[in-house]
Amino acid sequence: MKIFQVALGILAAIGGFVDIGDLVFNVSAGATFGYQLLWVVVIGVVGIIVYSEMCGRVAAVSGKAVFDAVRERLGFRTGLVALLSAQVVNLMTLTAEIGGVAICLQLLSGLPYRWLILIAGIVLAVVVWVTSFDWIERIFGYGGLCLLVFAVAAAKLHPVWSAVGHGFVPHMQTQSPLLYAYFAIGLLGAAMTPYEVYFYSSGGVEERWSPKDLGLNKANAIIGYGLGGFLSFSLMIVGGSLFLDKGIEPEFLGSIALGAEVPLGQIGLLLALVGILFAVSGAAIDTLFSGAYSLAQFLGWEWGRYRAQTGAPRFTLTWGVLLVLALGAVMTGVDPVMLTEYAVIFSAVALPLTYIPILLVANDRSYMREYANGRLANVLGLIYLAVIVVISLSAVPLLILTNVGQN
Amino acid sequence: MSDSIDLGLRVVDRQLLDSDERRCGKVDDLALEGGPGEELRVAAILSGPDVWPNRGGLLGRLAAWIGGGGRVRVPWNEVAKVDVQVRLKKRAPELGLGRGDDRLRPLIAKIPDADR
Repeated sequence: MKIFQVALGILAAIGGFVDIGDLVFNVSAGATFGYQLLWVVVIGVVGIIVYSEMCGRVAAVSGKAVFDAVRERLGFRTGLVALLSAQVVNLMTLTAEIGGVAICLQLLSGLPYRWLILIAGIVLAVVVWVTSFDWIERIFGYGGLCLLVFAVAAAKLHPVWSAVGHGFVPHMQTQSPLLYAYFAIGLLGAAMTPYEVYFYSSGGVEERWSPKDLGLNKANAIIGYGLGGFLSFSLMIVGGSLFLDKGIEPEFLGSIALGAEVPLGQIGLLLALVGILFAVSGAAIDTLFSGAYSLAQFLGWEWGRYRAQTGAPRFTLTWGVLLVLALGAVMTGVDPVMLTEYAVIFSAVALPLTYIPILLVANDRSYMREYANGRLANVLGLIYLAVIVVISLSAVPLLILTNVGQN
Repeated sequence: MSDSIDLGLRVVDRQLLDSDERRCGKVDDLALEGGPGEELRVAAILSGPDVWPNRGGLLGRLAAWIGGGGRVRVPWNEVAKVDVQVRLKKRAPELGLGRGDDRLRPLIAKIPDADR
């Protein structure tokens, strides 16, 4: 029974890993550089595993989530800057995810885009209102597993496997190193998006983790995110096999779904669209909650879906307001794919403000007792801190120099 | 628990939990007492938007304005225990904490199924 539950959690984590940022950056990276950037995905996935394991452990041992740590370790003033930047990026991401939901619904139904935005908003609000936390995670995680169709598509497209293998070895064969660097930063930013750790750690508290659940935490982080990374590989391989050198830029979510239709026909297209629909809907709820979690944790309000709406009124109001703001933003007709690129790059800038406090708290023995970071977690944590700082400093210059990846 | 505690690291900015384990604010600041030559003593925990300008400068002032002001003073002898949270002896309303949530609750409760 226990193993069964662990397996269910892992399945949900795989489906929940991919969001609109991963879809956009993996497929475009494939379309632009073939399989060359696969190694960057590996680095990003190991990074999110290291830090989500850490903040999941903190949540299980202390009952605290990431923004508690941000407030305690950065103090009020710097913490407030971290909170503000997190909210801005979060709202951009939420807007992009909801736009993605509406696009999928449009491709599936043919109804007008603006009506579908409204429908998407209402459905998301109702689902969050009436469904328990566990089931929210499961519904969207399992639905997102339809994305595995991209793994089948990747194989069916018969890529040159030696070239795929070569992609896992860091190398650069291009006339435009800046664009290469821009995509590398985007892939890392998409894999290590801060909202994932806000949500992951708060989710640990929602599910009332205790030190007994540390094994579950480790399994979820390593296997769930690891296999989520496998989906990212598939997306990039599909992008590389199908779009590279054909002058096609997958600028629409629909063209990403084409990646499954070409090798697998109608059923491939349908599974891809349903998979993308569930993945971005789930990510929309994750970002929606992450915004409310961060604010409530920073200010010390009661929070969490496990408290029921009346048990955490300001938390509930916050996600309600965020949802309305994001719906309004999507209604302006902003292009979700473009917005995704900006959101991923800006989130990369703010990465250190999220990850430094996690590393500090996970090392605090008065907090973590015998569960504090071991040597492996610290060595990896420090290496990734260096990576994050480099990403953070180079993200905006690369955004400008490459003209948002258009070169 | 040792008998000394680093107030800046272990108390300020920590979560306040009332006797029902309800989250009811943060330790935004501490009120210290003691005259010249005397030993300093923690008199109270300060919590609420009116404390933020002292902590967060211009941004803190803006946040306090949005937060609507207000400050609650919780005497230090109402603290039951300091671990990773600051645990209080009484329920939040008795100490004047968590009022934002309490005021909003009746409105949220009007929406069907709000207690699920």
